[in-house]
Amino acid sequence: MADETVIKSDLEFVKRLQEYGGESLKKCYQCATCSVVCNISPDDKPYPRKEMLMAQWGLKDQIVKDPDIWACHYCGDCTTYCPRGANPGEVLGAMRQACIEHYSFPSMLARMVSQPKFLPVLLAIPVLVILFVMKLTGTLGNIPAGTIKYSNMLPLLAVDAIFVAAAGFAVFVFVNGVRRYWKDLNADISPWKAKLSNKSVVSATIDVLKEFIVHKRFKECVTNYARSTSHLLLVLGFIALAIVTAWSAYYEWASKFGLIPHKESPFSITEPIKWVALVGTFLLLYGIYLIYQQRQAKANGAGFGGYFDWLLIWVIVAVGVTGAMSWILRLANLASLAYPMYFLHLVSVFFLFFYAPYTKMAHLVYRTTALVFAKMQGRE
Amino acid sequence: MEERKYGVYICQGCGIAEAVKIEGLEKVARKGGKIPHIKNHPILCSPEGLEFIKTDIAAEGINGLVICACSPRVKYEEFDFPGCLIERVNIRELVAWTQEPQAEETQLLAEDYVVMGCAKIKKADIPEGVPVEIERAILVIGGGVTGLTAALEAANLGQQVVLVEKEAELGGLGAGLFQQTPRKYPYQELEVPVVFNKIKEVLTNPKIKVLTKSEVVLIDGQPGLYDVTIKTDGKEDIYKIGAVILAAGAKPYDATKLGHLGYGKSDDVVTNWELEKIAADGKILRPSNGKPAQKVVFIQCAGSVDPDHLPYCSAFCCGTSLKQAKYVRTMNPDSLAYIIYKNMRTLGQNELFYKHAQNDPGILLTKGDVTGVEVADDGSLAVIAENTLLGDKIKLEADLVVLATGLVPATVEGPVLNLNYRQGPGLPDLELFQGFADSNFICFQYETRRTGVYAAGAVRQPMDMATAMEDAAGAALKAYQCLEHTAKGIAVHPRAWDQTFPDPFMQRCTACKRCTEECPFGAIEEDEKGTPFYKINRCRRCGTCMGACPERIVSFKDFSVDIIGSMIKAMDVPEEGTRIVAFVCENDAYPAIDAAALNRLKLHPAVRFISVRCLGSFNLVWIADALSRGIDGILIMGCKYGDDYQCHFAKGSELANYRMGKLQETLDRLALESERAQFMEVAINDFDKLPKLIDDFVVRVEEIGPNPYKEF
Repeated sequence: MADETVIKSDLEFVKRLQEYGGESLKKCYQCATCSVVCNISPDDKPYPRKEMLMAQWGLKDQIVKDPDIWACHYCGDCTTYCPRGANPGEVLGAMRQACIEHYSFPSMLARMVSQPKFLPVLLAIPVLVILFVMKLTGTLGNIPAGTIKYSNMLPLLAVDAIFVAAAGFAVFVFVNGVRRYWKDLNADISPWKAKLSNKSVVSATIDVLKEFIVHKRFKECVTNYARSTSHLLLVLGFIALAIVTAWSAYYEWASKFGLIPHKESPFSITEPIKWVALVGTFLLLYGIYLIYQQRQAKANGAGFGGYFDWLLIWVIVAVGVTGAMSWILRLANLASLAYPMYFLHLVSVFFLFFYAPYTKMAHLVYRTTALVFAKMQGRE
Repeated sequence: MEERKYGVYICQGCGIAEAVKIEGLEKVARKGGKIPHIKNHPILCSPEGLEFIKTDIAAEGINGLVICACSPRVKYEEFDFPGCLIERVNIRELVAWTQEPQAEETQLLAEDYVVMGCAKIKKADIPEGVPVEIERAILVIGGGVTGLTAALEAANLGQQVVLVEKEAELGGLGAGLFQQTPRKYPYQELEVPVVFNKIKEVLTNPKIKVLTKSEVVLIDGQPGLYDVTIKTDGKEDIYKIGAVILAAGAKPYDATKLGHLGYGKSDDVVTNWELEKIAADGKILRPSNGKPAQKVVFIQCAGSVDPDHLPYCSAFCCGTSLKQAKYVRTMNPDSLAYIIYKNMRTLGQNELFYKHAQNDPGILLTKGDVTGVEVADDGSLAVIAENTLLGDKIKLEADLVVLATGLVPATVEGPVLNLNYRQGPGLPDLELFQGFADSNFICFQYETRRTGVYAAGAVRQPMDMATAMEDAAGAALKAYQCLEHTAKGIAVHPRAWDQTFPDPFMQRCTACKRCTEECPFGAIEEDEKGTPFYKINRCRRCGTCMGACPERIVSFKDFSVDIIGSMIKAMDVPEEGTRIVAFVCENDAYPAIDAAALNRLKLHPAVRFISVRCLGSFNLVWIADALSRGIDGILIMGCKYGDDYQCHFAKGSELANYRMGKLQETLDRLALESERAQFMEVAINDFDKLPKLIDDFVVRVEEIGPNPYKEF
């Protein structure tokens, strides 16, 4: 009997999912209300019921490579309607966390990101790195007075060095993780075997990105319909700020090579780059504010999320608030507050970039991968 | 018969006066009913109305009252006047609420009911029960948790109890348990098996005589007057007993028949009963090698809900496996307990225990069909299951496999009771319930078809111990009721108010034995000459004997062949227009008509309903009576019968249908269309379908044409 699946239950994994916000997972009695109320679950082998059972049975191998956990957009409809209070939405969140943890290297760092007790350690790393670089550049305790210029605290080159390194590390971890994930996805044992579509990776990716940009799936949520807007604002904020980053890098590096005249930051309020930056910051802050508010409001019905979710929310808040405050304090010319604020901004941005493969930020990469795979399989 | 002075009392309330002309009713009561004393009142059941009647009774010496008002199923306490014979004529439900107001047909219908009531009361008499001296000891058969509880409950009611146990020790299956599923909120903590305490209580109770290593050899007699022969260690004694509680319990299903699940192929495949013994040692060890079992797989419905084994659910096994999974997890926190079920069924509050057990991360549950248990050469086990919620066919490696086997009732092996009944030593029709001594009297679960014998616990239905204890208490109360009613000489149940009894005119008995065969309760025995006689305490007053008797010699004080015949004769049968008589069972069909009336459904005005105790009491002569009067059609409305019958008297409706089959041959010979008489199954909740069923019948009868006997 070759077609049977040998069950390997991992009791520790069950407990870990419970620790990650799925503490109610054992309450599920597999009535499938969740799969019925979910608007984005497909008709064939729908989620999240099967995932709930896999979670109860501690089927780690199957869970981490189940693309359906990423098809879920955490609408919370399942959680709202679950008759047994098993909160499938939260359990799927815990599974995604487990998936990120499984594929990100080194796994120790991932485990640390998952647990609140390691937060001070995680924060200490960027603090020490930035202090160390300031020491190297000689600006530590030695910032010249006068007009506030953040490059006085940390030269642009040093900033680039730190953040290119951090981002590079993140990209390396992502590439490694996605490579392994993709391999597992394509391995023979898939929780569902749908008919193959003829889509290539490229066309599937384009389809997925198109859906992303209009938040097509998000809009099918009922309980949390409003989140399709707030999340979109947040994403647009990120895109705007990414454009600003690329734009300022272009100014910096293109002038270095003499392609354009040098343009020194801070940029004037009359510059278009500043407008984009302000719009981006506003979208980011407003988006994350809405998300915060909606989560509080829906905590009892649709699920509140766990530490893993809230860590990312607070990091984004920190990035946005410290960024905006750095700008305001600079304009207010309060050097004694402005430089520490900028320092905090750098720390939070470093945190966001460097730990991206381990935090919920990684959903960007794994969700895309999983959905591209699903598209190619013709699973809608 | 006592000298009677009759009075007719007509109520105008509840829409009666709006639907019919009261003076018309008064006229027919006087002329057709031949009762000159007639009164009416705006609301007869009101205090003023009742006072009005009482005053009239006192002033006029009335002692036979025809009360033309509402259904006899309501207001029976109001319309109860001591020393008076009461006849209730239902002109509210059957007329005012179901007919066109003030229509000519409506008036004729109401007038018919009034004269029929007058005719009936003149033939009836006040019933009086005959008190008897009885034995009050209760025999409890079976010393398991049910029997022990029943014995204690009966003793607490003040009764002497004789408790008979086949084995040397009391306790039954419950004594083989390590722990018991929780019985109190929050339904999480396992308990010491309750049976041990009960054994102590029973052994120290002065009212309970315990006979172990004993069996009931013979139960002779009738409720209140049994002579029970009990064999103890080969010695027989006779005990005087009043009522019997059958609590013989059940046995685990024979696991050797479960080879396909690995039983007998590996020592590590055990039954749920065997696991209790393993757990009693404090550790879950593999029987094969004594090593701890890390992975334990429970297979639910092992040999249950399976046409090749036990076709039913044994009810307790799901809770038991959850409990045993808890043993596994508590004794070894690193272990895993898998439960593969067909349907997780946890009775009553055990749902909370299920939730509790399920919440343990190491108890893993799925629905699924186990297709086999593989035993490898090295002794390792693997359970194969299909249709699981996990989707694919799965294979579970196991150190220990536990088969959740079900229950086989003691009554499968033998009659247990050994009754001295003409109809046999055991309970009848056990095959309807796979051998369980169950009752199909939906509302009376402990009542068997042997009055005075009450089944409780796992011999009645598969059940867990908590349910069995409730069952035992219920059966003890029923046994007590039996003693009380028998002593007063009234029916035990379901006609628990009934003081009448069958009174045969034996001079005309031909000893055809139809009554002894057909009595659903075996109440009629035969003497040496073959003449039937009643063991009256066994009788439930259904009147099946009255319906069966071709000589029509069986009568009750207020219900007889003659009484119903007189009612038929009292009806007005006009030359023009259709007339139908419907004989309706008072337990299901009549309440259904009342319900139709409550919902103000319209019933066909051509139909006259006559309530009978049970369709078993339906005597075929009434059909001849009706047809010879020119009545065009006859309906017999009774309960559903068959496997899930709903008849209060088990057989009535089925017998009526059988007798109708005989009749139709006769009708065909007389050149009367057999379709004129029809049997109809009506459940109490069929009231909404009733108007159409009746209308359809009327249409069919009208198609046949008028009864040719009308002209004679």
